Amino acid sequence: MADGESSREATARTLRNAFGNVFSFFILLLIGILAFSIRLFSVIKYESVIHEFDPYFNYRVTQFLTKNGIYDFWNWFDDRTWYPLGRVIGGTVYPGLTLTAGTLWWLLNSLNIPLSVETVCVFTAPIFSAFASWATYLLTKEVKGTGAGLTAAVLLAMVPSYISRSVAGSYDNEAVAIFALIFTFYLYIKTLNTGSLFYATLNALAYFYMVCSWGGYTFIINLIPMHVLLCIVTGRYSSRLYIAYAPLVVLGTLLAALVPVVGFNAVMTSEHFASFLVFIIIHVVALVYHVKGNLSPRMFKVAVTLVVSVGLVVCCAMIAVLIALVASSPTKGWSGRSLSLLDPTYASKYIPIIASVSEHQPPTWPSYFMDINVLAFLVPAGIIACFLPLSDASSFVVLYIVTAVYFSGVMVRLMLVFAPAACIMSGIALSEAFNVLTRSIKFQLPGSSGISQSGDTSMNTEGEQNDIAKTEKMDETAKERPSKKNKRKEKEPVVKASIRSRIERRLLVLPLEASVIAIILLVLLGAFYVKVACKVDAALNVHASTLEKSSRVGRWKLVHCVWAAAEAYSAPSIVLTTYSREGGLHVFDDFREAYAWLSHNTEVDDKVASWWDYGYQTTAMANRTVIVDNNTWNNTHIATVGTAMSSPEKAAWEIFNSLDVKYVLVVFGGLVGYPSDDINKFLWMVRIGGGVFPHIKEPDYLRDGQYRIDSQATPTMLNCLMYKLSYYRFVETDGKAFDRVRQTEIGKKYFKLTHFEEVFTTHHWMVRIYKLKPPKNRIRGKTKKSKSKASSTSSPKRSGTGKRNPWH
Amino acid sequence: MAISPTLLLSLLLFTTFLSVSLHHSTADPDSDSDSESSDLVTELLYLQSQSKSGVIHLNDHIVSRFLTSTKTPRPYSLLIFFDAKHLHSKTELHLQDLHTEFSLLASSFISNNDASSASSLFFCDIEFKESQNSFSLFGVNSLPHIRLVGPNVKNPKDSEQMDQGDFSRMAESMAEFVESRTKLTVGPINRPPMLSTNQIAFLGVILLIWAFFFIKKLLTKDTFLHDWKLWLLGAVFVYFFSVSGAMFNIIRKMPMFLVDRNDPNKLVFFYQGSGMQLGAEGFAVGSLYTIVGLLLGVVTHVLVRVKNRTAQRVVMGVALVISFWAVRKVVHLDNWKTGYGVHAFWPTSWS
Repeated sequence: MADGESSREATARTLRNAFGNVFSFFILLLIGILAFSIRLFSVIKYESVIHEFDPYFNYRVTQFLTKNGIYDFWNWFDDRTWYPLGRVIGGTVYPGLTLTAGTLWWLLNSLNIPLSVETVCVFTAPIFSAFASWATYLLTKEVKGTGAGLTAAVLLAMVPSYISRSVAGSYDNEAVAIFALIFTFYLYIKTLNTGSLFYATLNALAYFYMVCSWGGYTFIINLIPMHVLLCIVTGRYSSRLYIAYAPLVVLGTLLAALVPVVGFNAVMTSEHFASFLVFIIIHVVALVYHVKGNLSPRMFKVAVTLVVSVGLVVCCAMIAVLIALVASSPTKGWSGRSLSLLDPTYASKYIPIIASVSEHQPPTWPSYFMDINVLAFLVPAGIIACFLPLSDASSFVVLYIVTAVYFSGVMVRLMLVFAPAACIMSGIALSEAFNVLTRSIKFQLPGSSGISQSGDTSMNTEGEQNDIAKTEKMDETAKERPSKKNKRKEKEPVVKASIRSRIERRLLVLPLEASVIAIILLVLLGAFYVKVACKVDAALNVHASTLEKSSRVGRWKLVHCVWAAAEAYSAPSIVLTTYSREGGLHVFDDFREAYAWLSHNTEVDDKVASWWDYGYQTTAMANRTVIVDNNTWNNTHIATVGTAMSSPEKAAWEIFNSLDVKYVLVVFGGLVGYPSDDINKFLWMVRIGGGVFPHIKEPDYLRDGQYRIDSQATPTMLNCLMYKLSYYRFVETDGKAFDRVRQTEIGKKYFKLTHFEEVFTTHHWMVRIYKLKPPKNRIRGKTKKSKSKASSTSSPKRSGTGKRNPWH
Repeated sequence: MAISPTLLLSLLLFTTFLSVSLHHSTADPDSDSDSESSDLVTELLYLQSQSKSGVIHLNDHIVSRFLTSTKTPRPYSLLIFFDAKHLHSKTELHLQDLHTEFSLLASSFISNNDASSASSLFFCDIEFKESQNSFSLFGVNSLPHIRLVGPNVKNPKDSEQMDQGDFSRMAESMAEFVESRTKLTVGPINRPPMLSTNQIAFLGVILLIWAFFFIKKLLTKDTFLHDWKLWLLGAVFVYFFSVSGAMFNIIRKMPMFLVDRNDPNKLVFFYQGSGMQLGAEGFAVGSLYTIVGLLLGVVTHVLVRVKNRTAQRVVMGVALVISFWAVRKVVHLDNWKTGYGVHAFWPTSWS
């Protein structure tokens, strides 16, 4: 009879397991759909368009790849940027994103689904965020079980920080890199839990994909060695650890060196040295353990002294060599960005071009609330849960969150790396809390107490059994890891255990009414999170452009309430919208208008100068050669453009002419109140220009340390090219020349341009394009001719702009 | 014998110097100018050797002696650092930092150059309270201020002032300024190492020995590193430290609080505007962030083991109230600071 009962129970359990698996599969599917669809707001609200600055470059590269194939892409020398230097694209980009989107496009086309490259690019990020939430599920499941995994996945699907970087249209490296990051970590943990070489190999491949995708791969190659070292130091060395680590270093480094942009950096720079050092250490430790296994304890003691001393000497020698190598290079082998992580004050002291980018600023506390929202409250609970009990996997997650939270504190951009860790921790915390609270409710409800007291063990549900297994584990085997194998082991003697644990379970509950309130509060917290996530939908993107001096700049004045502000920021920054008082929608499409004008009205080989922020967009949308772009690899070149913008007209003309520039493009927000225009970025042009050309001095542009463009502005400011190009004919708009961004009337209203002529101004005056006048000819007769020619070509365009402008 | 020979020697030298200077001040100005200027240089060299860093301390008398009462061209230039002891307490001026940088520059210059070129540029400092006349002579009315008096400068006010940008980046940038104006080379700045080589070697040996014992101990699995409570504490602390934006405070050198401009007795702890935060503000919100999670963790992992039902009830009640209050507070503060509000799900008429 007992046999029959147990077999019946076994079938019931399998049924429940199967049901649970199918259930979680559908939940995962829904999470994927959620992650994908929550990122589509930008397409619904605006259109299927690529956002911001960098994505335009990626888009252009992808176009090239799909048109010319992989080999041409690999050898591509781009002469349309950084004129006259050009740029080797194939060797200087992380190809992961481009190859991914290119493959997707190729796959869809070979399935006879004719999508444009742009559409594929727009939707790459949402697709990969669905993948990322599945990877989070896998990772968290390895650490704390299915429940925590599902919770973490659903949190990640809508964490604001990640949404802001992966909305449809933000086609940037981070879009695929976050997935690669989480997936690499999952495979590492999986290898650590199983000790399987298969997963170790997959791990190296995932790492390779990450190296292809993003410079942030150095985080992985430093975090994993740190964890290995931590495990060794805390006496958790095992052969599984060795299998998880050694193949990753060997295969991973070899694979990383295949990526052209990394190349020999994979073995030459200090960012990678930690992994090699730990590689040596783990071998020494492995040897020690091997010897220990083969010798008797007494012999081992003798051997330990020998091995440790020899190993120590070898290690010291190695370290000395490494230090000597590192010390011989001027930056100690670290790149500027990595150094500023270790020494946070480094960048602000030495590298203005890194310090000038707004996403490299340290965040304040509201940024955390903005980026991970209520998860900030839950993380500590997750950390506590990971320590009870501490396993290899959970110690890795703790290490991950600690390092990531520190790095995010240094640079707001790394909030993106921190967000998945926060989701995992909060998922664990929430799932543990729900576990305890629902258990408390379930076993204290008046109806259920009778049944549970009767000792009918077969009435246990799947969840309860897990609970019992868990509590037992906590008590008895604090070191056991909750992998599948162990769970099965725990479940075998379930009949015996459940009787004993029934007594225990009666104790491990909380008061009923308090639990109910707690659950309600937690659900409220979750609702708040979902609400915020929906609100942020397209999120406040941190622009990768030059820092906007927010102290002087008011918020965008056209918006009427906070809600609208959030929406306005969510704009793809190529198309902007605002709501009028009556509720009507107003669209600012000036950027595309300007780029279209350039591509239709200028020669193919004309060079266009603008501040570097607009370089990628100009090459991608107007297909014209630019002087500098968002890939800020050559500081001198950028400083040249900055100097030209800060110089008086004639000097600027000479600089631009020497660079073969035909057109100058400036972005001006004074008419409509668009705050991130060139006048607000101007001080950075002066700073960066002055860094290379000392005759440009920042104090010359400041009146008593104040940056102003009204009548109190300095003469240098009022005569510089940027001022003139921005405010030329501005007074004709309203008669007073009132700048709506700076909230003031401008200082110099009536002036003429001698070396430049206006050729195009967009609908809302947001983009203004000027042409360099040809040099005056010394011979009298020819001067007249060229003049008449110039006027004949330019005058119709100017009259055209006059008509276009509605603000007269 | 209490007086050491070196002290005696310096006294002797000082008396000779005094006599020499007296002699010169009384001497006819039209006497041999070559010998006079070389004497001046010797005196300066002597004064320089008197100070540890090689920075000559000026006063009104010395200024008139070496600058105003001499004929141009002088055989030397002076780089003068204008100091004011009573302003040392104002940290935003960085007077003391700049002065140490200045002394570093001086000592590096002296050690890097041979006697002939080292005697053409001297580094001096001058204190406001002692020598107010000199300050007005140079027309200095704001600090920090560094001036280079070239050989041909007649009126001290014509001397060249070092730009804010030139001394902002410490001794290296000051060296650039000097090199560009005087055609002298300063050479690399010799910063004194944090620890002397002997100390480093000593520490290295100790570390090595300690490491040996430590590894032995590690194998027995009985160190503080095996105490998970310590790790837990560390992890939570790093979390608290980061979410409170402490790195922002360090990088931007934010004060803990500000004094209200309108009412000096009132202190401002919270700054409105999302791009900035004050120190105390960050830590306050950071602890609000942390406390909720800690309470949740304690309730789910520790409180369930408590057998006393009443105790459970009380602790849970307190935890719930505190958590609710903390979350509300943070949401409210965030709304106030950044202006971004979050609407509730229900219609506006309900609330």
